[in-house]
Formats: sequence, C-alpha cells, structure tokens
Amino acid sequence: MSKRKWHHPEVPVEERGTKVWRSAGELEDTPGLRQWVDKEFPRASEMMRDEEDQENTRRSFLKLMGASTALAGLGLASCRRPESLIVPFLDSVEWTIPGKATYYATSMPGANGAVPLVAATFEGRPTKLEPNKQNPGANGVDSHTQASILGLYDPARSRYFLENGKSVGRDAAVAKLYEYTKSGKFGVIFGEDDSLTRSDLIAKIKAKHAGAKFYSHEALAGAGKKASDAGVFGKHAAVKADFTKAGKILSLDCDFLELDKQGGLKAFYDRRRPEGEGYNEDPAAYQKQLNRLYCVEPTYSVTGGMADHRAPLAPSQMGRFISLLASFAGVGAAPASAFSDTKTKWAKACFDDLKSGEGVILLGSRYDKELHDVVYLINQAIGAYSAGTLVARKGEQHADLGSIEDFAKDAGSLETVILMTPANPVYENSTIGGKSFTDLVAGKKLIHWGCQINASANAADIHIPAAHYLESWGDGFSGDNGIYTVIQPMILPLYGGIQEFELLVALSANELELHDSADAAAVSPAYTAVKRVFDTKVKKGSGAAKVENWNSLLRTGFYADYKYKAVSAGPAPSVSIKVEAEPANASKPDIVFATDYSVLDGRYVNNAWLQEAPDPISKLTWDNAVYMSPKTAKELGLYDDVVELEKAEKAWWSNLGIATGTDVKTTPVSEDGEGPSLYGPMVKVKVGDKSLQAVVIVAFGMADNVVSIPLGYGQGYDEHWKDNFKGGTPEFEKDPRNVSSVGVNTGFNGYALRGGSDYYAAGISIEKVEGSRYKLARTQEHHSMYGRALAREISTMPTDPDGLDHQKDYKEQLANVRKQGMDSHIPQNVDQYKPVGNAKDKDGNDIDRVHLWDKSHQWAMSIDLSTCTGCSACLVACQAENNIPVVGKVQVAMGREMHWIRMDRYFAETSKEDESSNPSEDWDKPLEMIPNPVACVQCESAPCETVCPVNATVHSEDGLNTMAYNRCIGTRYCANNCPYKARRFNFFDYNKRNPLLHKNLYKGPFGKKQEGDAKSLQRNPNVSVRMRGVMEKCTYCVQRLQSAKIDAKQNVKRGVQKSGKPSTEFKVDHEMLMSPANSVTVACQDACSAGAIMFGNLLNKKDNIQKTKAIRDEDKDLPAHVQGEFANPRTYDLLSYLGTRPRTSYMARVKNPNPAMAGATNVGRATINMH
Amino acid sequence: MANYFPRWTNILPLKIAICIGALALGVVTAFTYYATPKAQRVGYMPDQPIPYDHELHVTQLGLDCRHCHSFVEKSGHANIPTANTCANCHVKGGIKSDSERLAPLFDAIESGEPIKWVRIHKAPDYVFFDHSAHLGRGVSCVECHGQVDEMPVVYHAKNLSMGMCIECHRNPEEALRPLEQVFNLKYDAADYLKKNDTAAEQVASYIKDKDLDLELTNSDDAQRAMGLMLKDRWNVQPKESCFTCHR
Repeated sequence: MSKRKWHHPEVPVEERGTKVWRSAGELEDTPGLRQWVDKEFPRASEMMRDEEDQENTRRSFLKLMGASTALAGLGLASCRRPESLIVPFLDSVEWTIPGKATYYATSMPGANGAVPLVAATFEGRPTKLEPNKQNPGANGVDSHTQASILGLYDPARSRYFLENGKSVGRDAAVAKLYEYTKSGKFGVIFGEDDSLTRSDLIAKIKAKHAGAKFYSHEALAGAGKKASDAGVFGKHAAVKADFTKAGKILSLDCDFLELDKQGGLKAFYDRRRPEGEGYNEDPAAYQKQLNRLYCVEPTYSVTGGMADHRAPLAPSQMGRFISLLASFAGVGAAPASAFSDTKTKWAKACFDDLKSGEGVILLGSRYDKELHDVVYLINQAIGAYSAGTLVARKGEQHADLGSIEDFAKDAGSLETVILMTPANPVYENSTIGGKSFTDLVAGKKLIHWGCQINASANAADIHIPAAHYLESWGDGFSGDNGIYTVIQPMILPLYGGIQEFELLVALSANELELHDSADAAAVSPAYTAVKRVFDTKVKKGSGAAKVENWNSLLRTGFYADYKYKAVSAGPAPSVSIKVEAEPANASKPDIVFATDYSVLDGRYVNNAWLQEAPDPISKLTWDNAVYMSPKTAKELGLYDDVVELEKAEKAWWSNLGIATGTDVKTTPVSEDGEGPSLYGPMVKVKVGDKSLQAVVIVAFGMADNVVSIPLGYGQGYDEHWKDNFKGGTPEFEKDPRNVSSVGVNTGFNGYALRGGSDYYAAGISIEKVEGSRYKLARTQEHHSMYGRALAREISTMPTDPDGLDHQKDYKEQLANVRKQGMDSHIPQNVDQYKPVGNAKDKDGNDIDRVHLWDKSHQWAMSIDLSTCTGCSACLVACQAENNIPVVGKVQVAMGREMHWIRMDRYFAETSKEDESSNPSEDWDKPLEMIPNPVACVQCESAPCETVCPVNATVHSEDGLNTMAYNRCIGTRYCANNCPYKARRFNFFDYNKRNPLLHKNLYKGPFGKKQEGDAKSLQRNPNVSVRMRGVMEKCTYCVQRLQSAKIDAKQNVKRGVQKSGKPSTEFKVDHEMLMSPANSVTVACQDACSAGAIMFGNLLNKKDNIQKTKAIRDEDKDLPAHVQGEFANPRTYDLLSYLGTRPRTSYMARVKNPNPAMAGATNVGRATINMH
Repeated sequence: MANYFPRWTNILPLKIAICIGALALGVVTAFTYYATPKAQRVGYMPDQPIPYDHELHVTQLGLDCRHCHSFVEKSGHANIPTANTCANCHVKGGIKSDSERLAPLFDAIESGEPIKWVRIHKAPDYVFFDHSAHLGRGVSCVECHGQVDEMPVVYHAKNLSMGMCIECHRNPEEALRPLEQVFNLKYDAADYLKKNDTAAEQVASYIKDKDLDLELTNSDDAQRAMGLMLKDRWNVQPKESCFTCHR
C-alpha cells in the first residue's frame, strides 16, 4: 500500500483561522525546522555531531571493536557459572516482606507547608514517593517533591565535615563547632518551613544562650506576602485560599497552581471540569459551577496557561493595575497615568465579575508588602474574606524567627552564623540593608549545615553534612490544610549526615555532642525531641494511650485534630502604592527574576531528573535563558537570529488564510532550527552596575518590554563550558567546586543581576553580543506531529453571532469535539490497520479483537486537558517509577531524551485575516497556551507491532501494547511506524555509563561507569533496567497492573480459605478475578494534583474510567467488553482517523470566558475551528 | 599458460564446505548441549554455608515449606529464612547447638553478619516470576523445584527454561492441584481421589460431561482430569503473552 496522502481542504476565507504552534521556528516555518521535522528521526543521523567527531568516529569505532572482541575472548576463557548469593536478614524486620514494597507515611517540609507523602520502600530502600491519600490535604506530588528522592541517593551529596572547603575529621569539626558557639552569640538561619519541634528546640537554645538569634530565609519564598499577612492578621499568620468557594479568580502574577501555592487545589480542579468532580453528568448541565480564572502576568506561567482570560503586563505596572482595581473597589485612587481604553475595559469587566460573587484576587507572593496590603483591601471589598474564600490561619506555637533584614540589623552583635536553610545565601549573595550577604558574614564564623556541597558549604568555616529529610525525624504542617504531619526517616543516613534536630539538640546541651548514626544502639535525639513534643503538645496521653497515639501518628503520618486555626483581621493597613511609569521601549525593559520550574531557587541544580525535565513553558532543559516577547526581540534585533522570516505564503497555515505580515527576508541566516544545531544569540543584560551575559529565547505570551530570567543556574563551570559557545565565550570563572557533575555548566546566574529580595527590576538595559551564540537543548520540536488538532479546546460561550463559524453554542461545540481537525474530513474506511469486514470468531467476538480476550481486565486511560496544566509532575513520576535514565544535555539536543511522557505545549492565537494583533497590547486578542501530555496510547490496532521483526512488542490480552525488552534487537522500525512518536530508544547505555561526563558516552567500554551503587538503590526492582540498543516506552506501569491482577487472585484464594469448603468445589468467574474498582493507579495518575489522568478497567462497571472513555460510533456493534458504558462528549482520540483505536483518550479543554469581555469570543478556540 | 591449480584442487571447495559444515554442526551441537539451561543448570548443587538437610526437616520432621519460606504465598520472592528462624529451634544449648555444622549460624548471630546462602534457582533479571501467583492458583513447589523434600542437599532439579514455563502455561492441567495440596510435595492425584470421595465424584462427573477418556486410577490420567476440572472451575487462563513475565 502506498503512503496515503491527504490534503486538507481549503478553508472559507471569511472564517477566522487559528494558528497553533510550538516554537518560533514553527510559527515562522523556517527551512531549518522543516528539515528537522521532515527528517522525523534525526536522532540517528545526528550521531556525528561535529567535524571532529566525524573524523574520529569511524576509526575509534574499529579500535573499540577490536578492543571489545579481545575482551570478549578473555571473558570466554574464564566462562564459569557465576556464583550468586542470597543474603537474608539476620532478624526478621517488622512489616518487611522481601520482594514487596512497604509503605511508610512521612512528609516533605517546604516553605509552602509540608507535603504529605507515602514512601514506597523495598527492603529498606525508599524508591518512590506517592501522595498520602489518607490525609485530606494530600493532592498529588509535584515534580520537585517527586524528584527529591533522587537527591537522597545523589553520589555527590555531602558526606564529610569540611573546614573552609577541605575535608576535616568529625571530632575536629565538632570541637570547632563547640568553640564557635560556646559564647552563645550565634545567629541561626532556618528555611521557611514551619515545625513545632523546631520551635520547641529554639526555646530551649534561647534558655541556654540568651544571645542566640533565629531567622528564616529562603530566597524566593515570598517575603512581601508574608509581611503583609503578618501586618494585617498578626505575626505568623498566613492567608490561604479555599478554592471550593472561589468561582472567579484573578491571579495577579501568582502561579498558585505550581510555584506559588495559595491553598489546596483539589477544589480548584474539580470546578475546572464541566461535569464536576465525578464526571458523571452532562457537561452542559454543569456549566454553572465551572470556575473562571483571570490571569495578569508578565511571563507565561502554568497558571496563565490555565486562565480563561489572560493579560500580559509588565511587573512594574502591577502597582498601576492594582490601583486601577482599587479605584473600582472604592478603596483607593485610580493611577495617575491611565491604561489604554481596551485595557481599562478589560479590568472593569474582570472586576465586575469578581464582585458579582465568589471572587478572589491572588497576588504573587514575591511582590512588595504595599501591593499586598492594597489587594487585601480589594479582597475585603469584593467579599472574599467575608465569604471565607480567603482565610488567614496560624498555629498555636511558632518560634519567633526574624527575617533576613533583621539578620542584617543584628549582624554586628553576632560572632557566628549558622546556615540551616535549604537556600544558598552565599551563592545568592543578595544585598540586604545596603550590604551583600558575604560582607555581612565577613569576619564572623560561618557554619553551614546542608545536604549539598554548594557555595555556602565551601565558604563556611565548618560545613556539617546534613541528613536528607527521608533520613530524618521532624514534623510540620501540611500546606493545603495546615494539619500536623510527621516526618519519619525511611533509612539511616546513607552518608552519615546529621539531622537538623540533632544539631539543635546539641546546641541546646551543655556539652556539644553530635549523634553518630553509625552507632546502631543509640537513639537519635531528633526522634526523642519529636516524640516529646508530640506527646506533650500535640496529643497528650499517658501509658498505653501514649504509645498508641504515637504509633498511630507514624502509621497515618498526620494528626488531623492539631492544626492551624483561623485568625481574624486586625486594623486595615494604610495604603500607598509607588506607581512606576510604563516601560517605554525595548531599550529600557523590566526584568523578572523568576522562580524556576526545575531548580526552584537553585537548590535542585544537582538533581538530574529536574534538570532534564523540560520547562513547562519554554521546553528548555539543562539551562535557563533570558526570555522576551517576539516584539521585544525584534526591537532588539534578535528575532531574526532566532527565526528566519520567510514569505508567509510558504507557511503551513497559509492554507487557513492567515497572513502573518509582509516580512520578506532574504538575508542568509544560519540554519538554526530546532535540534542539535539550535544555538541561541547571546545578550548582555545590565541592571544598575551589575551585568550578565546570557542566551536569549523568544517566549510567546510575554508582555512586551519585559525580559525574564529564571534564577538558580550558573552555580559552577568547568573547562567544558566553552564548548557550548560558538563565536566567542563570555568570561567565566572556572570553579566547579560548588556543583556536582549534574549541575556543572548549566545556565547563567541570574542572582548576579538581582539586588536584595527584588522580584523584578525596572529600566534595565540589554545589548546584543555580536557573534556569540550558545547551544540550547529544547524539546519542543522533538517527536513532532504538528498540524493536527491534537490538543482540543472548546468554549462555554456561543461563538460569533454572525454565524460563520461551525459551532454556535456550548452544546454544539461539545458535540463537535470529536470532529475537530482532520477527523471532520477524513474519508471513511481508509484505515490501514483494521481488517476489512466484520468477521466473527466462533465465540462471536470480532475477529479483529480476538487478541483482547481477557474478560477480567481491559485497561484504559483518559487525560483531561481541562485540568492538565502541563506542570510535568507526571513526567518526573514516570521517571521515578519506571527507571528511566537521564541522558544529559548533548543527547537531549539530539532528540534522545528518554521521558516516556512527552509534555507537548502549544501556543494558539485567533485572528482574522485583516487583523494583525499584538496580544501584549490588545488584551482582547489572547494568545493561549495548551498542554498535551502524550505517552504511548496503547493502540488496539498498533502500527508498531506489525513491523517488529522479532515480536518484541506485542499486544497483551488486556489491551496493552507491551515491550519484551530482552527480546528487542533495536531495529527501531516500531518507532518509525508509531504515529504518536511515543517510543524512545537507548542509543547508549545511559544506565551504566555516566552520560553527564564530557563525551563519556562516546568512549564505549572505556567510558566511566556510574559512580557507586547509589543510583541503583533508587531503582524500582519490578521494572527492567534497559540497556543500550533497546526500545522502550510507556506500558501503563505494567508492573503495577500485574501485581494488581495477582492481588485479585490472592483475594480469590483467601475467599476459598474463608469459606471453609474444599477448594475443588469453588467456582471462580471473571468478575472475581477483577481488581476492585479504582484500586489500580499508575504513577503519573498518582502524581497529578489536577486529577487530570484517569486510569482504570473498562470491564469494571464501577470504575471511574467508564465515565470518561468514549464509545466511538463505529464501535457500537463491538462486543460489550471493549466498550465503555458512558460516553463523555469531551472525549476524543488522538489521530483517530488512522484507525489505531488508542486506549488512551483525551478530553477537550473547556474554557469558560466572561461574556461581558470584549475578547470573549476569541477564547477557547485553539482548535475549535480546525477543519 | 601455467597450470596454477592442480587437479586435486577441484574438490577442494567441497572439502572446505564439508569441513565448515561439520564444524558449524559441532559448534551448534556443543552450544545446544552446554549453553542451554538443561546442561547449565540441572544438577547444580553448590555447597552451602550450612548443609541444611531438606529431607530431614521436611520428610522426617514434617516441617511445612512455609515454616522457613514464610512469605512465599504473599510475595513474588520466596524468602530464605532469617538466622533467627533457624535459631527458634537451634538456640544455644538447644537442638544440635554443639554441632560444627551449625557454627556459621551462631557466628552470624554473634557477629551480626548475615549468612550468605548460595543461590541455586535463578531467573534472569528480565524475568518477573511470582511465587504467590502460582501457589494461589494450585501450582505446587514441586513443579519447578522437584522433590525438594527428598533432597538431603538441594540441587537444581528441573531446567527452568522458558520452554518449561510455556509448556506449563499451555497445559496447566498437568500441574493444577487442590489448594490444600500445594505444599504437599508427595501429592498424587489418583491417591487423592481415592481418599476424597466428593472430589472423586466431581471429577468423574466432569470427565463424563466433557466426554474425556481418562482412567482415574491412573496417576497421570487422574492429574489431567483433576487439572482440567480445576482449570475450568477456577477460571485459570495462564497467559502466554510476553508481558506475563517480561516487562
């Protein structure tokens, strides 16, 4: 059969078209990009990366071949059956069953409150973190928490005491520690997390050392909001949002869905689904309870991507915008310089909607206190506090911790500074009270306690290796509901680290002695401290009750009756906003010092999972960059460097009748499409007297005249840093001491530009660095299948009244979800994979589906784009669960990332032919972002299976497209034939050879192996670790499915034993072998805080998947066991016209625009009009 | 022109071909014999740190398999007993505590260094065999491990090749037995039916229904009849797709 070519029909000119793209290259349709996309599998041909490689590869290949043959010979000569050992425990360990995971409740401390967790441990090794579903506040596990388990095993973790960066003996270090602290004039800087035991221990230390001072500091934890909340509601109080009551939300640059959490999000997502929580009703009927999200922000955040109405606004203008809102609310004067008419109307319509009930305004935590005070007043005015949408709460006891500014004031009286914060103050080196941090601590003794050997550790007089939180005792309050949670260790400190409370107990004692975890008989003082605080403060009891209380706490991980309590407001703050003038032009833009989705504030710079997880917005891995809007980039003369502008007629969407302007560039621009040849231009950014050279990425949806740089990168470089540059390397300091082999040579240090605790700076200057370019690894074009309606979107609004569009009202739009894009036009019966006819086998099953004969389980998945934010937590969870290797920047640039889940992200813009819009200026013409996670969709009629020459990928009877890794010979035919681009190939032995060392993978058998066995300790023992030359992909966490099936059989067996009858009389039917409804979950689903991923058994009528998974019309005559009972109109299949019949379905995103807004009909149309 | 190739070279290619053929055949035969599980594994009987005698403990003393392999019904992995399981009987001053053969046990308990047993049955890393799944469906230990109850020193009795797994997954009736008999390594279907009248009646009516020509007094036939009945009743459908064991 020849390749079928299907050309899209012409679209009527008068209709509005929608542009959908993923990168600047795709938007402008550059030849470079086309080539990259056409190649489809550039990964193979890009083996030889540069000339040097091309020269060397052939020869070194022969050389290595010779060497390995010789080695093989040697190996054969001594061929004997290797003796392997079984080493059982000496004493049986409580609860532990060899081969089975044991689950312990714990939690991860953090500035946003503790995350309640359940850690899966295998024979004492924690391998995976799941949400503690018993805790009412638990809701998914975000990527940072998920990846923190890799930090536990990091071979580069600190394991020795250091004195001025040099290793020193434990006893000597403890002696020094005693010497430095005995005077009692020390200041301790903690993180921003709240812990009851710590508060207690601080009181103890204060009792002993009156001169001791205590502070808390994390660079990006939101000092402004904290100060404002404290001012209004009293010290330690924090305002949280209750999203069950929030029907209309205005986010003012507040990424409350991801980096700047403002309260439990479950309710938010429940109200994001048109059918409500249970998916069980007609979406049209449930339209009213949908919430509406407005977002005003300078750069795209995942919250902005979720927004129904989004307006780009420079951070310096936020004050102006807030005063505009304040004037509407009658709590302040309008800004002196007015916004443009359309913007003012936008704000008014938004405010009226908020005021009409259930409204709430959330401002980014890192904005100044003054702005938060005004927002408090506006929230009062619209009734957010009286309705209980916003609640201030605090605990019974908090230690009085000063801020970093207080520290600057007290610094003179301190002799010693002890850093116990997860932040890295020496690297940040913020200016506090006119002095930099390093100046403040100069002349004082600096003690650093931490897991990583970073700048602060190396600068410290004494560095104490810390125990990871999974090795420590502790407590906290869960972020979502303020419930007391316990942190319990999963394992003894791997590298002999000291727990936080052990150090605090030592400081409060007369003789400074540190607990030695190697001493098995000794009980950690941290344990004693946490238990004592629990017994005396949290739940008092005595005798047997006391023991039971404690055991129950350890079992569940929390104690729900001890929690934060609501506090009422004090007097209203007096308000004055400093309103800055609008940034005039691109030569004097604002700069945003953004929190990074991967490294946060820099603390995860050595975490390879997070480094390799693409940024949700820019899809950049292993680096940060300076982001700016296309217009700003054009004005700075940078845009042409990113994309070669071409005649619009050549663009792929020109068929849709959209012109993109008349730019016709003939200047030869180097072919810098996506892929390994992606080199971004360099700029020099100047803020005051500080300057930094960094690479530029054009980011869509940003406000004009704003640039942003995520913080936390550029912590250390080695000699290979310059290999990333073409045509000139900026000066850099070669100092890799502060990072591990993971974090070295990643990105640019944004802190170098930042002043004190500033969120942004105005009036900076940017100039292009001529000739210099920097290599980037972005995944946005990898595995591309562009040009089809893959992520679908509809709107609750009726669209154009002129009736030119296909869809008129919501119901009609719902009904047409499955007909978007190619699916509306594709001719019938062109399926290549479906057998012709309707033949039945002898049991009456479709001959086509005889391979799906399992009558107890037929697995399926549904992904709801209405709640998916694109945060990539699923991607990291999958990596943790399925032993997916990290490949490093060089390999990612070649498109060889191994993530089984690819988080696609599309930008979309609606416009008519005669309208050339600039969303930054015209808020009624929004630029939307829509994520689309794609993993293997488990086609029932899978194209990959038919082409495997060795049957290594075959269908299972329960509907999985399975992989027998040991059988794969690596032809990669399957990947070539996969229309979803869901397969990943191990080009190298990423698990065995360290891919992060310079050119290590290319050294073959001489490449350096992974250090130590630390990384293999994290591996999931139920999943094969794949080797070089093997194809891999998602198989729905088949290890969990298999164990669920075995559990169901065990249940049957228990039933037999209980019945007391002989087993020969027992009858077992298909239903008894079924896993209980909704009991089987997959890793991505567990991690998803939005509940966007639903997984289940199509044959179990009680399973939730029934409510979402569609019955396709052509399937109506199929046997019942492959059909769902419920047909949700939002459900559709990717590329359904191919007839692959995927088991993973998607649900179209529903946007809920405000009809009163001028641009309302432009919302929710990313794909609505794709034909 | 000189005669470069004398006459005898005419059959040289044939000779070479025959030699190569013979060599290849030899290599294949040798590989088949020496490198397959049958040759590599069967009979493997390594020395253990403590020469634990299964025959003595199981047949003579009547210990159940699960006394030591305690989690075999719960976990995929059949655990080797911890030292303190042994020490339940063999305490200092208890049974045979002065025997030299038990010295490694007491050394282990004193030093805290666990006993290192030598693994005999080993599935490759990419095989995910689950003990509990098989035991729970009426497949006995004996099917894979042989008559361990009659082994003074445990050895690798069956080849545990993939062929063996597939064989049994295709014909599970050869292995299925009542759940109560799974740990009885001396089970014989014919004997069992002799002693259990109700079961015998059921099996008899089953083979009558299905019109099977099986003699219930014959061990093999009885096993087959019982197996077929249990397979039907318990809905046993052993999977043959790769992901059953490989993932």
